[in-house]
Amino acid sequence: MNLAQQLINGIVLGHAYALIAIGWTVLLGVARLVNFGHGQMYMLGAFVTWYTVSRLGLPYLVAVPAAMLAGVAVGYVMQRVMLQLTLKQDLVSIMIVTLGFGYVLNGAAALVFGSTGQILETPLSRLDIYWGDLWLTWQDVALVVAAIVFFIVLKYVIDHTAVGRTARMVAEDPPLALLAGINVKKVYLGVFAFEGAAVALAAALVAPRTPILTSMGFDEVIVTFVVVVLGGIGSVLGSYFAGLALGLFTAFFGALVSPAYTTAAAFLVMIAMLVLRPGGFAAAPGSR
Amino acid sequence: MIPMLETRDLAAVYGGNRALAIPHLAVAAGELVGVVGANGAGKSTLVNSLLGWSRGRPRISGEVTLAGEALSHLPSFERVRKGLLLIPEGKLVFATMSVEDNLLAVGGQLLGDRRRAYALDDIYDLFPGLKERRGHLGAQLSGGERQMLGIARALRLGPRALLLDEPSIGLAPRLVATVLATVKQLAADGLAVLLVEQNVRAAIEVVDRLVLIERGSIVAQGPAGAMRDDPRIAEAYLGAHAT
Ligand SMILES: Nc1ncnc2c1ncn2[C@@H]1O[C@H](COP(=O)(O)OP(=O)(O)OP(=O)(O)O)[C@@H](O)[C@H]1O
Ligand SMILES: [Mg+2]
Repeated sequence: MNLAQQLINGIVLGHAYALIAIGWTVLLGVARLVNFGHGQMYMLGAFVTWYTVSRLGLPYLVAVPAAMLAGVAVGYVMQRVMLQLTLKQDLVSIMIVTLGFGYVLNGAAALVFGSTGQILETPLSRLDIYWGDLWLTWQDVALVVAAIVFFIVLKYVIDHTAVGRTARMVAEDPPLALLAGINVKKVYLGVFAFEGAAVALAAALVAPRTPILTSMGFDEVIVTFVVVVLGGIGSVLGSYFAGLALGLFTAFFGALVSPAYTTAAAFLVMIAMLVLRPGGFAAAPGSR
Repeated sequence: MIPMLETRDLAAVYGGNRALAIPHLAVAAGELVGVVGANGAGKSTLVNSLLGWSRGRPRISGEVTLAGEALSHLPSFERVRKGLLLIPEGKLVFATMSVEDNLLAVGGQLLGDRRRAYALDDIYDLFPGLKERRGHLGAQLSGGERQMLGIARALRLGPRALLLDEPSIGLAPRLVATVLATVKQLAADGLAVLLVEQNVRAAIEVVDRLVLIERGSIVAQGPAGAMRDDPRIAEAYLGAHAT
């Protein structure tokens, strides 16, 4: 086994995980919401990208925003449907509704895109980089760079802009936010739209690494779950480091032990973390 | 004269229990009206209902007008934007946000004429203590500082009418005087102010008019001077030998 190669794999995988999870992190942090249709939204993002590139013949750079737009639409509709549940913070119903929504997306996608596997090729995914006996693609580089830029911008927006302050107010105390003149419903809709856009962006960048199927989504929602919990619920920086850690763990565990047990091992680590450090990586009060 | 803030037939019902029934109440611009009454009388329900707001789930009905404009059909946050500001009982600052973020998070909206939205510097002039603690989290503030921050955040939104729910609760006597003096000054600057106070002795010194609430209804009201001698106020709130 080549340690340096596993390090590269882990770093790429880690940034993929962080990017896949970030929408849910913000959703949970700001709106105290969960979305078990997250994985299917990832699938939809991947297929919209694929369709735009392979069927419509449009450039990848057009396909990425197209997928994000589809994500925004789905997120918005989903939140519109369950706004009353959100306002009541009825988490159990929200869990079931989002899970159901995922299955609807799954079925609709199979109907539209067919149930055979596809390869999402981008101009970058075929461009290899060799460095000694190390290998990665330009798609991997793009993914890592995009993830880092995305996290930096997001962190800045949350900490230092009016939009971020509004989101933080709603996150802490929705009734008090109303008294500050904030349209809380609009923030909830916006957060879900953001979640849709973020997971679609992740899909457009990450999905070219593996064949895509309309039945996928389960692995992605599990990864998201682990990252969000490890990172400290709602923490942006925590999610970044949790994603990176999970990526490195997966790469090295897969190489050193066996890829078959990676998910089980990742959950063991998560359970241990939850017991030993219940706040996740970002356990400091008020951090995000 | 059109009152700045006026309500008719304001009622609130908690799961079948009527907690509030106010046929009419009006506050003029520049007027400071005190609301007093025992625990559970409905003081908080009154100021909350004016905004259609609550942390519970009451059914609220009735008319509310601000500067002659009907607000009753608007959600709470729209009423706030029209200039009806509430500094609520209990939790009134964002604990996970810095003092400055608490203030920056609101304000800056385009306001109609004759409304003053305080700039950050105005706020710090009015409350120098907040300037010193601008970097601290809301959670790190003392009770008095929280009240200041609550009032300051309301001022950032360009209020026409200010509703304060027991701003002096838990404060040392000297701080009570400071807070009430600030409130008095804001009324003198032209705001309509409704001040809920348990501390009747302190409130009666600053308010123009006093309203006594029992079981959700107004049972007595009048100018502060006259209410001082009202037996219901004197006995229950000022002690038998009060002047
Ligand atoms: N969330 C709620 N659910 C049910 N009943 C409530 C709720 N909030 C208030 N009430 C009831 O409404 C009535 C008025 O309560 P309110 O809080 O307005 O009183 P208050 O005069 O502000 O009292 P205090 O001086 O203790 O603040 C009380 O009888 C109370 O039990
Ligand atoms: Mg009260």
